Amino acid sequence: MVLTVVLDAGPLIAACKFETQGRLVVDHLLLSGCRIVIAPSVEEEVAVLGAGYPDGVVAGERIAQGDIQVMPVANRRWARHLAAYALGDGEKDSIELCGQVEGVQALVTDDYLAFVAAIRLDLEAWMLPDLVVKLAKRGSLTIRVAAAILETVRPRYRAGVIEYSLVQLVEGKHGESSGTG
Amino acid sequence: MVKVVVPVKEEILRAAERRKAVGMDEGIAQFLAELIDLGFEYRLQQLYQRFEDGKISLEYFANELGLGVRDLYAALERRGLATSNIGARPSETDNGQQITPI
Repeated sequence: MVLTVVLDAGPLIAACKFETQGRLVVDHLLLSGCRIVIAPSVEEEVAVLGAGYPDGVVAGERIAQGDIQVMPVANRRWARHLAAYALGDGEKDSIELCGQVEGVQALVTDDYLAFVAAIRLDLEAWMLPDLVVKLAKRGSLTIRVAAAILETVRPRYRAGVIEYSLVQLVEGKHGESSGTG
Repeated sequence: MVKVVVPVKEEILRAAERRKAVGMDEGIAQFLAELIDLGFEYRLQQLYQRFEDGKISLEYFANELGLGVRDLYAALERRGLATSNIGARPSETDNGQQITPI
């Protein structure tokens, strides 16, 4: 079963930048049945303005191949709700997409303000490590690979985030299967 | 190196003129470049504090600094700073782990 998520710029950059066990994190996610949707403003920030970085090229390639889907924001249902938050266009658009793309499970953001704004709109919000744990718990990513991904992305997080996810992984160990990796 | 025209405060201009008057012509460009660098670092530090406090998002931070998100991400990484602001700050952890000061 496909897990559809909307990624904002931070997690997308991290997923396209970090590699574990010979494979980029973004490819681990895609091979695990994760459908990644992004807003055009996020594509602009990561794959166009970020084209000078290897991860920007990776993002651009995955978008061109159709592995990462860029979807326009059809309406701005929460424009007034979000107006006073000090968010960028990419974060606002990612939140809006969650309310209009069929089957979206969560907004994936590592940004506190975007996370809080999404939760207050009754949306599901996960950090990138949460997405990794969810995929492991579904059995589409092995615990070993999930743990390796968490360790790889650890430098970009504050204390407590990765430790929390590693505990969740151990809790979900009963569900381990033959997922990717 | 990019060359741009930048309006500067009178006192900075005077400082540059004083340098020129004492024969330090060659140092003026470096002096001004250092001032710009210091200003950038100060602004980055100010905004990072607001980002750390959860008052502004990463993209808003980038916009305020005049950078793209990816360039800001790289700038934070170069300084050893977390690019996510969820979780405990390094100074709040028990193990005393410190971030590289800006």
